[in-house]
Order: sequence, then structure tokens, then C-alpha cells
Amino acid sequence: MGDTDKIAGVALDRRNFLKGAAAAAAGATFGVSPLLASRAYAGQELNLTIIQPHAVTGEYLKKEFLEKFGVTLNFTVIPYDQIQAQATLDVQSGANRFDVHDYWYATIGALAEDKVVEDLTDLIEKDKALVQPEDFLPAIYDPYSLVNGRRYGLPYDGDIHLLYYNNEILARNGIGVPKTWDDYYNAVKLVTEKEKANGIYGAAVLGFKVPIILISTYGNRLAGFGGSFLKDGKPNLLSEEAIAAAEELVRVAPYALPTPSETAFEQGLPAFLAGKTAFIEFWSDLGVRAQDPANSKIVDKWGAAPVPLGGNNKANVASLNAGFGWAISTGSKKKALAWEFVRWATSADVTLQLLTLQNSGIDPARTSGLNAGSYKSFAPKVQAAIAASSKTLTWPNGPQSPKLLEALTEQLSLALNGQIKPKDALAAAQKEWEHLLA
Amino acid sequence: MQLSIAITPPLVHFSRQRAAFILLVPLVVGLVVFAIYPAIYLVALSLTKSTLGQPFKSWVWGSNYLWAGGGDGGVFLTSLLRSAVFALTVTGLELVAGTALALLLLKPRRGDSLIRGSILLPLMTPPVLVGTAWKLMLAPAGGLVNGKLQAWGVIDAPISFLGSQPWADISLIVADVWQWTPFIAIMAYAALKQVPGDVVEAARLDGASEGRIFWTILLPLTAPALAAIFVLRLVMAFKTFDLVYILTYGGPGNSTALPNFGIWRLAMRSFDVGLAAAETVLFAVFISLVLLPVLRLHKRFEERT
Repeated sequence: MGDTDKIAGVALDRRNFLKGAAAAAAGATFGVSPLLASRAYAGQELNLTIIQPHAVTGEYLKKEFLEKFGVTLNFTVIPYDQIQAQATLDVQSGANRFDVHDYWYATIGALAEDKVVEDLTDLIEKDKALVQPEDFLPAIYDPYSLVNGRRYGLPYDGDIHLLYYNNEILARNGIGVPKTWDDYYNAVKLVTEKEKANGIYGAAVLGFKVPIILISTYGNRLAGFGGSFLKDGKPNLLSEEAIAAAEELVRVAPYALPTPSETAFEQGLPAFLAGKTAFIEFWSDLGVRAQDPANSKIVDKWGAAPVPLGGNNKANVASLNAGFGWAISTGSKKKALAWEFVRWATSADVTLQLLTLQNSGIDPARTSGLNAGSYKSFAPKVQAAIAASSKTLTWPNGPQSPKLLEALTEQLSLALNGQIKPKDALAAAQKEWEHLLA
Repeated sequence: MQLSIAITPPLVHFSRQRAAFILLVPLVVGLVVFAIYPAIYLVALSLTKSTLGQPFKSWVWGSNYLWAGGGDGGVFLTSLLRSAVFALTVTGLELVAGTALALLLLKPRRGDSLIRGSILLPLMTPPVLVGTAWKLMLAPAGGLVNGKLQAWGVIDAPISFLGSQPWADISLIVADVWQWTPFIAIMAYAALKQVPGDVVEAARLDGASEGRIFWTILLPLTAPALAAIFVLRLVMAFKTFDLVYILTYGGPGNSTALPNFGIWRLAMRSFDVGLAAAETVLFAVFISLVLLPVLRLHKRFEERT
């Protein structure tokens, strides 16, 4: 990093030093540096991008950062699927409007390759005591930050899908919580066949043709069957598990809320929260929304479980669907302050506050947060379901990842619509992945 | 008068030349800034491996063109043909419907200006809202169309209008025709108004039916104008993006992915700017080829009248 690294022109004079020393003890508790705790940056501003589902989080961070440290955070809320383009264009165009970016972990390789985000390896190492890297969930830390042995960001929202179910629908159809994808298929089929006339379906299968939706749905099945997207860096889409996962996705489609290829968040979520579907696979923050009477007709009538198993797999595997971190823009002129923010916003204390904040959209990224008593009592069913997953399935996150995900989405969409067979779709995607990764 | 005599012919010549040059400057600058430079940049970009973050990473010469020309399994070439079918279909339907609407508007009736104003509503609605409205109407669960069809007993299960074929194509065409027919109607109305009233009146006095008047008088006289409207709308239809983005997102599969949408996805989703540039160049060439016979037809109509 360049000259701008020099703590953005903040002089560490005697007054600041004393204030910092006084704040140090309290600061250490909250994972902030003495300098930040001393309000040495008070009056300054930082410009940040944040995805739309995290808007409530942005408001909370803005309020806290201003109150505690006197620094104003100017968040620009951006649709989640445009965040990479915005960050890249900001740097590439030379506008350099933003200091910090909210990033989807699958894009971290591309952002690093395009020199959009800073290499934070040395800063993390230097501030290890405050960052507490060992506290990040091991399955999340590397995929969210590591590119070619260097770290380019820190995670703060560890997203996985759980299988949510409607207790009432299951009970009146004599169905238990499915343990396998086969159980799930039979349950969905039964409910749809019996209750379709009343507008109730077995499941809302999110199959809309964008990677974060369709690959999440496929990823749940791939994880359940114990498969992987890549093996030793090579495409692994023709494995027995990958094909079984695609076939499972296609098999259930006729019994899902019509129709999976048109079902995105805005169709699937309201249907489940209105009690119109027995199942939905969704991020763990749905558990909070389902208990909110303002948004939900199924308060206390739902449950959450790890996604089902398939084939010979006997261990619960969670697909890392979505998931976000904070990174510093290479175009920032306030890198030191940006680093203070990133370290604070990803700290154990702040992420725990966000975990227990209504509609924050934040899921555990740290072990301390996942196991905290306050989180357990805030979202007990969700916490238990997340904790039950022993392994994770990581999406491709290298420089070619955006292209890989688009190519796979395209083929899965064709299979879901019955235009080609699942195996042929994966063969086509495998071919394209091989071409892209050659 | 004396002043003009005082100026020597060479000076007059020089001044005229200079004035002409000065007058041309804005046009030349405009052309360079808005046409030539972007075109050169686009072609250069198409010959490189470029991402959004790193344009001109390396020269790959023709490989982007080879990929778009069939290396991708024919995805792009198919989308070109799809765009031609879509553009010609919607433009044809809109021209027929728009002209019919214009003929109705020609007959004086009470509240003419109100009718003309109200038929423009679809045109004035932002395309994103048009797409959203149609998406809500066509939704399988809770959508107006499916709800009514089920209530009337026409269907017993919802139709996936936007998630299955051929419904997705039909839905796109219907939404586009709904949005753009008023545009053609207003243009056609203006053209029909130019036909001398006494010619039509004379035909009526001679006992010609309304149909005969249209086919033998109105249509031939307005053919050049209608052909120009057709060309204009055809070019616009080739550039359709909003409706595809909102209604189908190119699906099911990629069966409604028109080139504009595909190029946007390449550039802004896959970040393959080099390939997106190559496809843009090929798309421009393709549109020109499709337009050639239409323009010839237009010219022939003009010569006839």
C-alpha cells in the first residue's frame, strides 16, 4: 500500500496517545485498535458499498461507528448481483469513490485478479490479536478470503442454506422431516398431489436462472450427495454425485410451486411464509423472518434442518451459498481507516450483535458467534441446524468463477426445463469449465 | 456593394473554404467522439482478452470471433437468428395492428384527443414497468391470467407462461406488441393524414368500399412512410433488452436470450468484455444484413410514389 497508508494523516500526538491508552483496555474488549477507540479519526468519512439484503446491517454499523468513533459511514446500497461490477468499475474507471466493498466470496478471486481489492495478508498478520483469525469458522475463513496464498478480505456473513419446513403441513400429511433427498422427493410429491387443489405445494424450489439462486439449489443437493464443484482445481461436474444431484433437482420440479424456473426469492419466500409450501431451502436468516408476525403467517409453525443427504453420503454437508465479506478498495485514499472499519466490522463482538439483530441478514461467520448463548436464544432452531453441519461445500472462487457460475447456471436451467437431460447439461458445463480453466 | 467589390476573389474563396471548414468542425468532432472512436475501441477490444477490471489484457486476435461464430456450440449464432425472428414478427404484427388502429382514429368522433392520448399510455410506461406488470399478470401462482383461466375452467393447472416454451416466446411477443403498437399507430396516423382528402372523397363518391379505398389508395400512397416506420421499429426491436431481462431473463434455458441480453450477460455477469465486444460487432453486421432488403424495399416504394 502507498502513502495513504499512513493512517490517513492522523497525527499520533500526546493527547491522542493518552486518549488511546485510556481507551486501549476497553478497545481490546471490542476488537478495535487504541487509535480508533481514541476517536482519532473523528470527523472523517468512509464510502462503502453494501448489498441490498444487508441494508439493515448498514444502518446499524453506521450508527455504531459514528457513536463510538465519530466516523461517518456512507453506504451505497447495491443489488447483490451487481456488487462485483460496481466495485470493478469504480476502480477501473478511476472514479475511486469507494473505500470499502461488501463482496460475495465467490468473486474474491476475480476481484483480486483485477486488482480491485487490497491484499490484507500483512495487516491481518500484524493485527492478529485483534482480528482473531482462529475464531472464524474454519470452513468459511479460507474460501472467503484466500487467493493464491494471500488474503484479500475478512468474512462477516457466513451463508448456508437450511431446509425449512412447515410443521402443520407435514403433520396433516403424516410426514416426518426428510433425512434424505429421496424422503424429500416423496414428501413433496405427496403434499402437492393431496393439496395442490387448495393452492398448497410440496416445496418452493428456487430455480430462477441466476447463479446465486439456481446454483444454491443445486449446491444443496451436491452437498447432500457429498460431491464437489472442483476436484484438485479441475471441474468435477461429471462425478456420480454431481449427476445424481442434478437428477434430484429435475425430479422434484414437477411437484414444486409452479414453476421452479420462474421461482426466485420474491416468489418462493412469500409462498413459504404464507403457509403455501411445505418446504423451502433458504439462508439461515429466514428463521428470524419466519418468527416475525409482520411478515409471516407461520410463526411457531416451522422448523429447520440441515439439507438432506443423498447416495452414500452419511455426513451433513452445508453448501456455502452466497456469503459476504469486507474488502478494501485499491482505489481508496483512506486505507488505514478502511482497515480499522474492516477489522471492527468483522470482529467477534460486532458480528454477534448483527447475528441477533432483526432482519440484519447476517449469519454466523465466527465460532464464537455460532456458539454464543445470545444467538442460541435468538434463533434456537437455526443455530442447532447450522451446528449440525459438519462439513461445507465451497463454490468456485477463483478468477474465472463468474464465468464458471454463469455457464453452470445456463446448463442447469436447460435441464430444469426439460430441454436437455441432467447428465448432458453437466457434460456441457464440464466442457465449458475445462475450456475456461485451461 | 462597394465592400464586396473591394474583396478580391481569392480572399472570398479562402474565406468560404475556411467558413466551410469551421462549420464542419462540430460535425467531425461529433463523429470522431461518438462514432469513430467508439467503433475503433470496440473492434480493438474484440481482438483482445479483456475483463471489466483489466481491458486489453492480451491480444487474442480472432479467437473471440471464432468462439462466437460457433465455438460456443452455436449459442450466439442461434441468438442472432432468434433476434431476427423476434424483430420481424413483432414489427410485422405491430405494423398491422398499428395501421388498423390508425385507420380507426382517422374517423372523426367525440373525444378524439382523449383516445389518442390514452392509446399512448403503454408507450409512455417505462419498459421495466411494462415487464413487471406482465410478469405479475402471467405469474403461475397468483397471476391474473392463470387465475382467470382456472376460474373459467379453461385450464386445471397453472401454465408457466414465462418458464416454458412456446409460451415464453409468445409472452415476450405479446408484451412487446402491447407496448409498441401505439407508437406505430401514431406514426401511421400521421402518414394517413397526409393522403389528400379529395382523392378519398372522390373514390367514395364513385362508390368504392372502405376496403377498396384502403388497398388501392391509402396503402399505396402511404407505403413509403409505412416502410420507413417498419425500418425504424425493426431496428428498435433488434435492440430489445428490458422485456427479456424482466420477463424471462433469457430463459427457459437460453431460449429467449436475444443477442443484446447475451452480450450484457457476457460483459456484466461473466465480465468477458473482449468476447462481448466481438459479439457486438457481429451483431451490428447481422442487423445491417437483415436491414438491407428492407431498405431496398423502402427505396422501391419511394421510387414508385
